[in-house]
Amino acid sequence: MARALMLAAAIGLLIPPQVLAQAPAVPLNPLAPSNLAKPRPKPPFDLTGTWFIDMAGSQNSWRFGPPPAANKMTPETLKHFEAAQKAQKEGKAYRDDIGQCWPAGLPLIMTRVWPVAMIQLPTAIYMVSHFMNSLRIVYLDGRPHSDPDVVVRTFNGESIGKWEGDTLVVDTMHFVNDHHWIDAGIPATDALHIVERLRLLKGGAVLEIEYTLTDPKSWEGEMKWTKRWNRVDDQEVTEVTCTPDLNSHIPSTQSEFQAK
Amino acid sequence: MRSALLCAAVVLASTIVSAHHSSAGIDRTKSVELVGTIKQFSWTNPHSWMEVEVPDQKGGTVVWKVEMTSPAYLVRAGWKSTTVKTGDEVKVTVRPLRDGSPGGLFVSVLLADGRSFTERPIATTPPASPNP
Repeated sequence: MARALMLAAAIGLLIPPQVLAQAPAVPLNPLAPSNLAKPRPKPPFDLTGTWFIDMAGSQNSWRFGPPPAANKMTPETLKHFEAAQKAQKEGKAYRDDIGQCWPAGLPLIMTRVWPVAMIQLPTAIYMVSHFMNSLRIVYLDGRPHSDPDVVVRTFNGESIGKWEGDTLVVDTMHFVNDHHWIDAGIPATDALHIVERLRLLKGGAVLEIEYTLTDPKSWEGEMKWTKRWNRVDDQEVTEVTCTPDLNSHIPSTQSEFQAK
Repeated sequence: MRSALLCAAVVLASTIVSAHHSSAGIDRTKSVELVGTIKQFSWTNPHSWMEVEVPDQKGGTVVWKVEMTSPAYLVRAGWKSTTVKTGDEVKVTVRPLRDGSPGGLFVSVLLADGRSFTERPIATTPPASPNP
């Protein structure tokens, strides 16, 4: 009996004590009353309203491409880009994932020629695009970016905003790695990082955003674009869905017009 | 000035139609006039669409699938969900598909009562306040 007890004790010494897993602290959500009530400086502007990309200067002002020469494409991106150019000459679309109901993702969701509704709270800005009702949240409550091993990657990424004088600087990362495009033939990868500098102009009638896009898996250096939106008080953001039967009625989305 | 406004409207309308998908399959240099009957009209987001049944030379009919813009823009062009109905006799002008299959992008419709509709915005009254 004593021998059995000694053996059990020895085994007990060999097995480490059970360690209980610990979950990371979860931040209060932006609508939590105690988060909303925290003292914060008055923001320099309020984006609440409905905005539409300004296309007065150019029909292509909604695009984030083609890439400037300074942003040399990686070999993989160059293959996509050349295939997209070839498809265009043949009157076909290349990897038109949005047409097949994949989300547009940032940055295109901001300029996709549909209005974007924005609701600004002290803790976050909620953005809903009329285009497929894509939701984007810009957190203003002081939280850092999420742990990359925990975050759920998305097409619009994770956006953290900070006020710098009269400018809102929004840092976005944690994007998906497939079916996400900056422009025709220019893929976004999970290395995409976007910094937006937002200002309100003309007494709040115009929103200007300076974009800095980096994605070392897709192109070299920083790609920069400046876009403007007009406040549109007579346009509604309502329910829009890409239902499974939609494209059967939209013939140009069919396979014969997609580059193989 | 008026021509500039019209030009801007055309640009806006053509761009909006491409918002859900690439329109690479559309031949924008050509127009086709369809004389036939509305088989179905769908007033829906992100695109409205219609099917037009057109008599062919063999005594049968061919159904053309016609892509349109969203109701939000059609309303600005004077449309209602009841503007065309199943069975209406119409003339529809489209930009056709490049490969010749029966489909295209909507340009205009002429109804039997003489009214015609496009996707271009027409003059509207100022937006009404929701809180009079």
